[in-house]
Amino acid sequence: MGERLWPEALDPVVAEFQDCFDSMERYELLFEYASNATNALPQDRWNDANMIQGCQSRAHVECTLDSSGLFRMRGGADAQIVQGLMEITRIAVDGSSCEQVSLLTPEFAEAMGFNSALTPSRSNGFKNMLDRVVNEASRMMGSENEQ
Amino acid sequence: MRSRAWVCEDKKHITRLNIPKPTGMLVNMYDVQEIRSDFPILNRVLPNGKPLVYFDNAATSQKPDTVIDAMTRYYKTYNSNAHRGAHTLADEATTALETARESIASFFGADPSNLIYTSGTTEAINLVAYAWARRNLSEGDAVVLTEMEHHADIVPWQELSKEIGIELRYVPLDLGRMCLDMEAYKHALPGAKLVCVVHTSNVLGTRNPIEDIIALAKESGARTLIDAAQGASHERINFKELGADFLTLSAHKMAGPTGIGGLLATNEALSQCGPFLTGGQMIRSVSTDGSVYRDGAALLETGTPRIAEAIGWGAAIDWLSKIDFTQMHDHIKSLAIMAYEGMVQIDGITIYSDPRRPGSSGTISFLHERIDSDDLAMLLDEGGFALRTGQHCAQPLMDALGVASTNRISLWLYNTEEEIRSFLDHLKMVCDRFGA
Repeated sequence: MGERLWPEALDPVVAEFQDCFDSMERYELLFEYASNATNALPQDRWNDANMIQGCQSRAHVECTLDSSGLFRMRGGADAQIVQGLMEITRIAVDGSSCEQVSLLTPEFAEAMGFNSALTPSRSNGFKNMLDRVVNEASRMMGSENEQ
Repeated sequence: MRSRAWVCEDKKHITRLNIPKPTGMLVNMYDVQEIRSDFPILNRVLPNGKPLVYFDNAATSQKPDTVIDAMTRYYKTYNSNAHRGAHTLADEATTALETARESIASFFGADPSNLIYTSGTTEAINLVAYAWARRNLSEGDAVVLTEMEHHADIVPWQELSKEIGIELRYVPLDLGRMCLDMEAYKHALPGAKLVCVVHTSNVLGTRNPIEDIIALAKESGARTLIDAAQGASHERINFKELGADFLTLSAHKMAGPTGIGGLLATNEALSQCGPFLTGGQMIRSVSTDGSVYRDGAALLETGTPRIAEAIGWGAAIDWLSKIDFTQMHDHIKSLAIMAYEGMVQIDGITIYSDPRRPGSSGTISFLHERIDSDDLAMLLDEGGFALRTGQHCAQPLMDALGVASTNRISLWLYNTEEEIRSFLDHLKMVCDRFGA
């Protein structure tokens, strides 16, 4: 991802959040991203293996490679705030290479104002979710190299 | 991708709630501002600039200056182990520890020799399960519980059931009235050896008819354990008059520090107890041939006592002793009814409590039909409102209610009418904005 702090696909998203008047508007925007998550992981795919630890509410992430070998992510959560964060993360990583995803850092969330908006436990949940995605990408990259 | 229908300054399209004035004559007699002035944390401003509105009192209460000062004074001026030294500091620490025991026991109408310091209610119930029940119950004996119990009053008995095969009988809820089904209670009692019941529900705020339950249990020949973790901070409980065999307490829900609580046990019940944990304060003498233990409550206190915590709890009790609990209860009840009557007007809110019931503690559980409980808690926190979300360590009760979790506000003596109005305004705004 070069010198960029987040993928280009997130630029308009980050700008949109930075344009928010206050934290309630940020939450409102997160709810909109959650409701627009048309490809969210359905509840019948939620299991212990894809559960994110440390989230206050139930949250699950499934990471796969598509037929072109590009990274695909689906997330599902009870809470709309978590679902919205997952959708933004999906926008960041979907269709990227595993190597690109493995370099993803949480600066985009900070730029959107989440650090000040989220409680420590929520913030940790988001970090755990991001860590899961990055680790999955690294693991998939490793298996690609082995092949 | 979004419509910007809402901005912060624009509130003219918010339908104002018809919030009733609190009822009762005590609004003027009860000086809530004077009470609040004793709690420094209530002046806290949160990182988002919002003043703290603390509605999580069923989880833990805030602490007045006098408690904080008493604990600080102990550590700064006479920190020492109690019952273990001949020097001045040890004597002062011992005196303070035992003076606190006298204050606490007296507050609950008990003798100091009947109060065992524990880490809290959970440990107190476990202590009964280990020190009394394992010596006095056997396979097939019945213990009566209720669906309203905190996990702390369920799991120790489930463990005992697995260990020695006691029978557990759960009294169901009367869901229409959010209280225990007393007819079912009467059917559960015959032949029971122990009845364990929560004084006041941490989820519903319902105050159970424990006097009736104790009387019924006595008729059946069962011993009684009352979990007063919630009830002790809302009404004056007199252990001797109540007639229960065991009463369990948590200091931190009644202005005291965390890490300490107590078990009140009758002399008769204590005489049936054996040691659970061993060592420390419960020892009379030890030789290579064996050990001799102390009697009564002293048998059940091991290790170094929680000295600072006991002193803090004693200070909390001294502070609470100056409060008229009838006035306090009426104040809390009027606020809870005000909150309830405002909340029922908000579209999408379902309430799982009825603070209008006699003795209710000012705890209201609720959910929004379209906003997830964690999201709702977060959005309320954004307004400065601290409340609890989750199962409240009461999953059987959640199952009975048919929900996975609830949001819960729980009021106490320092909450105000202004806080309730502010909460209702914010809740309405959140529900309008996020629950459409």
